[in-house]
Amino acid sequence: MSTADTQTGARRTPGLVPVSETRRSAERAAAPREPSVLSEPEPSGGVVAFWRLLRSELGLTFRRPRNLIMLGVLALVPVIIGIVLKSIGTEDADGGMGALLAATAGNSLMLTFVALSALVPLLMPIAVAVVAGDSIAGEAGTGTLRYLLAAPAGRGRLLAVKYLNAVAFSVAVTAAVAVSALVVGVLLFPVGPVTLLSGTTVSFADGLLRILITVGYVSAGMAALAAVALALSTLTEVSIGAIAATLVLIIVTQVLRAFPQLDWLAPYLLPTHWSGFDGALRDPIGDMSGGLLAFTAYIALFLSTAWARFSGKDISS
Amino acid sequence: MRRGTIVRWGVPIAAAAVIGAAVGAGPVIAAVSGEPVLPERTAAQLLADAAAAVKKAGGPPAMSGTVQQTASLGLPALPAQGGTASPLALLSGSHEVKVWYGAQDRLRIALPGQMSETNLIVNGDQTWYWDSGTNTATKVKLPAKPEGDQPLATPSPTDLTPQQVAETFLDRVNEDTGVSVTNTAEVAGRSVYQLVLTPKAQSSLVKEVRLALDGENYVPLQVQVFAKGSAEPAFQVGFTQVTFSPPAEENFAFTPPAGAKVEEKEFGQLQEPGADHSKEAEKAAEQVKVVGNGWTSVAVLPFKQDGQAQESREAQAAKLILDQATPVSGAWGSGKMIKTKLVTALLTDDGRLLAGAVTPDELVKVAGQ
Repeated sequence: MSTADTQTGARRTPGLVPVSETRRSAERAAAPREPSVLSEPEPSGGVVAFWRLLRSELGLTFRRPRNLIMLGVLALVPVIIGIVLKSIGTEDADGGMGALLAATAGNSLMLTFVALSALVPLLMPIAVAVVAGDSIAGEAGTGTLRYLLAAPAGRGRLLAVKYLNAVAFSVAVTAAVAVSALVVGVLLFPVGPVTLLSGTTVSFADGLLRILITVGYVSAGMAALAAVALALSTLTEVSIGAIAATLVLIIVTQVLRAFPQLDWLAPYLLPTHWSGFDGALRDPIGDMSGGLLAFTAYIALFLSTAWARFSGKDISS
Repeated sequence: MRRGTIVRWGVPIAAAAVIGAAVGAGPVIAAVSGEPVLPERTAAQLLADAAAAVKKAGGPPAMSGTVQQTASLGLPALPAQGGTASPLALLSGSHEVKVWYGAQDRLRIALPGQMSETNLIVNGDQTWYWDSGTNTATKVKLPAKPEGDQPLATPSPTDLTPQQVAETFLDRVNEDTGVSVTNTAEVAGRSVYQLVLTPKAQSSLVKEVRLALDGENYVPLQVQVFAKGSAEPAFQVGFTQVTFSPPAEENFAFTPPAGAKVEEKEFGQLQEPGADHSKEAEKAAEQVKVVGNGWTSVAVLPFKQDGQAQESREAQAAKLILDQATPVSGAWGSGKMIKTKLVTALLTDDGRLLAGAVTPDELVKVAGQ
């Protein structure tokens, strides 16, 4: 990459880590290697460094009080829903959601689905957006990004670590809600065979399996949002900007979905597919491949955008 | 711009291109697939083969799939309906239904909704209607069927050969309809014959009606109605996914789940519990007069605009549509005209409702008669 060298070699801002420098430091770490923009993980030292970085990243994320509080608050919601359902009863419940609430009174596992359908549209995305939107911009804002890049990690690898970290948090958010709902459900409501939306009754074990499918699907949906937030995070050095932009996107798309005139747009919007987890409650299990494909498309598009932006960006803080 | 920059940004652009291609590929492939894989047939041959296939098999083969219904009639968007089951909801937007068909008396239809599902399950002499929204299982008592009732074509296929049936149909239809067959189309990944019916009358709003029959077993897979002046069908119902193999047995087994309300009802009461619409419908049917024939038929019926029953969703929707109607007047009087892509309706001030798949001019002419 000699072109980049000559360009940034001349004028040098104090504290600036130019693109070429990151690359050089990454190249030094794994000496016999083709200079590559992608900086793919190396079989030996690279992989170890990658996992070490990811481990430290995960440690930071799951020790950070802010993140733990978000997980705690989300896990509290199923408890509140459970207690309210138990104490008030569901006699006068009516309509789609009401029936689901009524089903909860009859079976413990249904609380998981109630909790997820209440949290998936907004609260869980907010938690994911905070962590993923903070990932790059937050480091830039506190001035730690250039130290991360000075370490022999390579930008592509740092981005991969940041994304995997956000994905891990997405799974944690979903699991926190599901596990909390499961525990509360088992404590408060009868345990036994589960009635699906199709009117079929399946065993408790089958019900647990369906919860597992749901957790996987919702996590994938949140991971897609994390990719969007990560891409926005590479655009700014103010983490609140990236987080706010992600939230605005979520809210705008949710509002757009409310207009029947814009029905044609709905399949392309991310939040439309989040609620597709109700396929796990049908018999036979509903087709969730459309939603998963949409998530994959979002992840591919926004991760590559984030990479293109981040690997070409001069880091000044 | 540096070369590296261009290469780098090429990746997300390529990703966008791949996604765009994947999203757009479906319709494009369907439109481009010009290679006919089916042998050519005339309309008479096609209908004869279809009738023969139905007669031989004694009904459609076992199948399951997803049926999608799309309507873009050009109606103003209706207010969101509480339940998707309302017939009015079918007039706009798109709806999906899952179908499992085992035999004549084994059928399951599921209407998936957001966190809800409505099912109709027919198994032998048992018919269940399950609505997860109200947690209600309804056992439906079917009215005793008249013997020898054939749901198919009017001339009973048993006393006519398939060729005769086809010819009778074509003779009847040929006066005011052009009939042709294409063998290039594809529906739900299967090659189909499309029977294209084109109205000859100038005043008809219908450009053509396309009926897609499966190339192998002649099961109707899709019906499309095209309005004049639009390339997209104004109304379409058809399979988006179909497999011709017997569906799993458990689809037809239904036992009301524990905790559900179990009811028993006559067939006619299924739609609106409490309200008996059938009498009103019968009364209305007596007053309907049809003017003209074929594609340009216009139905004329008395219509009272009353201020009552405004609470019901249907009434609200009707009011919403009426508010957007254009006032028209002429020698015949005056009224309000509602024009959609396929249907024109005229509500005259003297209390008549005229409706038909015809141009406004034709409707006004009928109103003047």
